Amino acid sequence: MLHHTAKAISKFTITMNVGLSLKGDGASRSVPMDCVKASEQCLREYSCSTKYRTMRQCVAGRESNFSAVTGPEAQGECRSAIEAMKQSPLYRCRCRRGMKKEKNCLRIFWSIFQSLQGNDLLEYSPYEPVNSRLSDIFRLAPIIAGKPPSTKENNCLSAAKACNLNDTCKKYRSAYINPCTSRVSASEVCNKRKCHKALRHFFDKVPTKYSYGMLFCSCPAGDQTACAERRRQTIVPVCSYEDKDKPNCLSLQNTCKANYICRSRLADFLSNCQPEPRSISGCLRENYADCLLSYSGLIGTVMTPNYVRSQGISLSPWCDCSSSGNNKPDCDRFNQFFSDNRCLRNAIQAFGNGTDVGVWQPQPPIEPTEPGLTRTRTRDQNSNSLDTLTDMSRLDLNSDSAFNTCGMQAQKLVSNVSMDTTLCVVSFVKSKQLRGIISLPFLT
Amino acid sequence: TRHRRAKKRGPPAQKRRGVVGQRARGGRGQGCALKQVQLNVTDLALGYRSGEEMIFRYCAGPCRKSETNYDKILSNLVQGKRLPPKDRPAQTCCRPVAFDDDLSFLDDNLIYHTMRKHSARKCACV
Repeated sequence: MLHHTAKAISKFTITMNVGLSLKGDGASRSVPMDCVKASEQCLREYSCSTKYRTMRQCVAGRESNFSAVTGPEAQGECRSAIEAMKQSPLYRCRCRRGMKKEKNCLRIFWSIFQSLQGNDLLEYSPYEPVNSRLSDIFRLAPIIAGKPPSTKENNCLSAAKACNLNDTCKKYRSAYINPCTSRVSASEVCNKRKCHKALRHFFDKVPTKYSYGMLFCSCPAGDQTACAERRRQTIVPVCSYEDKDKPNCLSLQNTCKANYICRSRLADFLSNCQPEPRSISGCLRENYADCLLSYSGLIGTVMTPNYVRSQGISLSPWCDCSSSGNNKPDCDRFNQFFSDNRCLRNAIQAFGNGTDVGVWQPQPPIEPTEPGLTRTRTRDQNSNSLDTLTDMSRLDLNSDSAFNTCGMQAQKLVSNVSMDTTLCVVSFVKSKQLRGIISLPFLT
Repeated sequence: TRHRRAKKRGPPAQKRRGVVGQRARGGRGQGCALKQVQLNVTDLALGYRSGEEMIFRYCAGPCRKSETNYDKILSNLVQGKRLPPKDRPAQTCCRPVAFDDDLSFLDDNLIYHTMRKHSARKCACV
């Protein structure tokens, strides 16, 4: 019972949107319905289900270049089916991390996403925007709230203690450490698949104050060995991260895209941790909590990232850019999204410091006053001299970086799907109507 | 029914921090209770060296004698020296009947360990 209430409190912000989405259609509210429910509802209605089936046949036919589908008559039918689908709740359905039929939901999302391409293409993450605040996590975290992390104490150790003292965290922690440390044979260090699955469960089920505490704990600049190394070991990297070979990052990306969950988590990460050099927070979406959530969502997929050095915050998936050939710039760019991402780094530091992005919310109430004085504080706060930021002042590329990256990646990284025009719409999320819509240029 | 009631009185898990006294339950003042204490993993003296802390729950408290017929008979026979001298069957005592979830931790050498059945979840007089 205790477990349930604790879970309920910690997941309050996450489930808040979901509760609203289950009622009625998603057309009036900006809160979307989940794709499994939406497709069930559609299949129950005759008109919707016929259009849906037609649309799916169009997609299948298009992919296999089936001649019957490419004829003019069929194209007209396909177009009308697609137009009809845009009216249904399926059009803007989303999914939740760790939901019961997550893979199913994502499959439905991507099949619709691939079908409804065209001029009004808006690429976004299949996950509902959670819009939680770091401050919510802080308020509930007994360790961090109240006292700033000391530079002497091992914050990562304190986080582990907090986890052990909480039944949920303790249980799920052991549930992943066990498969990740069990040797299965002479040649295999562990059962990676089981380890990954258990890791995903951990980050899905355990309240973020505990899981983030161990993953994003801040380590003092001086004594790096114990604290930072413990932080690096959080995900049991020898099993879940390292491998005999290091693949090329772009080919790892393709491998990721072939799996619904990885693809979705990656889309979510690219969306929520998109850096914005002109913003003080460093993040385009101005929400540290969402960025951290998306990052932790990658753990347990093929794109599992981890800390690579004991110094500072430097993250990377298990891949490099050797043998990239002509694609080296794109490969480097992708790699840098992890290793040199101002938004992600700021978010992790903010968590460690116990601060947040002022009062930035992706969906602000329509108020004239904006108490943004706390902005500068988070930006310049290195009083604790925790993890060194090597390039706080360096701006990415040039002033139109967001748009440039968008265009370039759209051309290079798009695989051979029949979409020619990738409309990159980068909208600053202060506008209520455009909430949650961000461009993901690389996704097809 | 007196025995049935006594058997049922093995108390469920209590989640209080620190060492606490016995918790009286029901009219008979059942003594066998679940208690807990917070420790460093190193303090468990199992040979691990780790800075992590955990909660250790244990069962303690007196068990009323002669809870079952078995116990009555046993204590009578022991007193009457009717059993072989080398046999010294134990009387009822307060012991765990269920254990907590596994605990995993990272030791000072950055190696993970998992402990099973290390802490009690439910106590009873057995």
